[in-house]
Amino acid sequence: MTSRERTYRIEGIIIRRRNIGEADSIFTIYSNTQGKIDAVARSIRKPRSKMRGHLETMVQSSLFVARGRSLDILTQAQTIDSYQEIRGNLEKSAAALYCFELVDLFVEKGEPLPELYRGLKQFLEVLKATSSPLSVRYFELYLLNLLGYEVRVFECVVCDSRLPEQTALLVPEAGGLVCGNCRLNTGPGRLIPVPIIKLFRFAARVSLENYVTIRVTEENLNLLRLATIDLIRYHLEREPKSQYFLENLPPPPQKP
Amino acid sequence: MNSFSGVPEPLTRLINELSKLPGIGPKSAQRLAFHLLRSSEETTKALVIAVEDMKKQVDLCSICFHITDKDPCQLCQDEERDESVLCVVEQALDVIVLERTGQYRGRYHVLQGVLNPMEGIGPEDLRIGELLQRVQSGNIGEVIMATNPSLEGESTAMYVQRLLTPHGVRITRLARGLPSGADLEYTDEITLAHAFEGRQTF
Repeated sequence: MTSRERTYRIEGIIIRRRNIGEADSIFTIYSNTQGKIDAVARSIRKPRSKMRGHLETMVQSSLFVARGRSLDILTQAQTIDSYQEIRGNLEKSAAALYCFELVDLFVEKGEPLPELYRGLKQFLEVLKATSSPLSVRYFELYLLNLLGYEVRVFECVVCDSRLPEQTALLVPEAGGLVCGNCRLNTGPGRLIPVPIIKLFRFAARVSLENYVTIRVTEENLNLLRLATIDLIRYHLEREPKSQYFLENLPPPPQKP
Repeated sequence: MNSFSGVPEPLTRLINELSKLPGIGPKSAQRLAFHLLRSSEETTKALVIAVEDMKKQVDLCSICFHITDKDPCQLCQDEERDESVLCVVEQALDVIVLERTGQYRGRYHVLQGVLNPMEGIGPEDLRIGELLQRVQSGNIGEVIMATNPSLEGESTAMYVQRLLTPHGVRITRLARGLPSGADLEYTDEITLAHAFEGRQTF
């Protein structure tokens, strides 16, 4: 696409929506070819809008966009997948929104990463089929890795020696695990037991589909969550807003 | 504050204040300000008094959190309304729209927003706790969730459903489907799926 073209076509996942004015909305879209973009849809909130149902957070759409002076303008939209299985489930919706926020916070506009688009689609596909909290943990590590914040979990980040099968210190500032001998020479960290180290290593080696089938105890899930949150917090320098919501959902009603 | 060369300071101030209103850009703010400048003193005074009175007298009903100038509001005081049915909406404007239909004769509960985790709006920012109290303390048999069919509206409805289910109250959701005058060709899959689910005998 040349910069002179006034319109362009993309495939994208809508990760955020903000209503403006009487009936307009601004959508943040993660797209296959343009990366993250913001685009406005005029009169989208009116009942007669033809794009209304095709433009909604967590909808994958085929979009036709016109270049605007400050904001691009969405002119056509056609749903590819509306992820009904996710939006009808509170845990899954909260997980998807959390990952959307991560993408929104970590990724700058105008830096296309087709691999991230594929990863986001894959995450949503897997989330349709599973409720495993491991899907979110995998996506966090996948995103960090893709953006150049790879967490080193096979060798000590200080001395480069292969890590023995024992508890290691996760130091976000250093970029990974630190062996027992080097602990005194690094910044603050969190002690990570061997099962969690293995979960980190699996995430680097297996696909998301396989990762979510791993059986993990509640205790280890929580330790992994705390560890990945340390990493996210370090790189973002804050906590994503949707994290609290994801972690504090009321329990689902008991089935009779 | 934006300053406009050649424009007196009080007028600039008004333009800046007006441009803070939703849907009003700098150009519209200028037009409105110049219109007020040309208007008679009576007209501008009436506007000022209306704004002041609105701020002084209009508040939220302590029961349903709808906007009112009397507490409890008219809708909560109306004894002809069915106390056992509660319609939960996002904002006061939704009550006005629903009342316009004349179809609903129950009570309301205005949440004052929807859950929006990405914007940091959580349950503690809404009137969800008060809704729970109303259900716990009153003789409410049905709660109609009338939040918007958006992702945030749906999440809010599911969240409220989880909190209310243990209290044995019937929880219903407004039907969804094709709006009047809709065109099937342009209808999205979500709406069509709901329209099929909610089809009725002809």
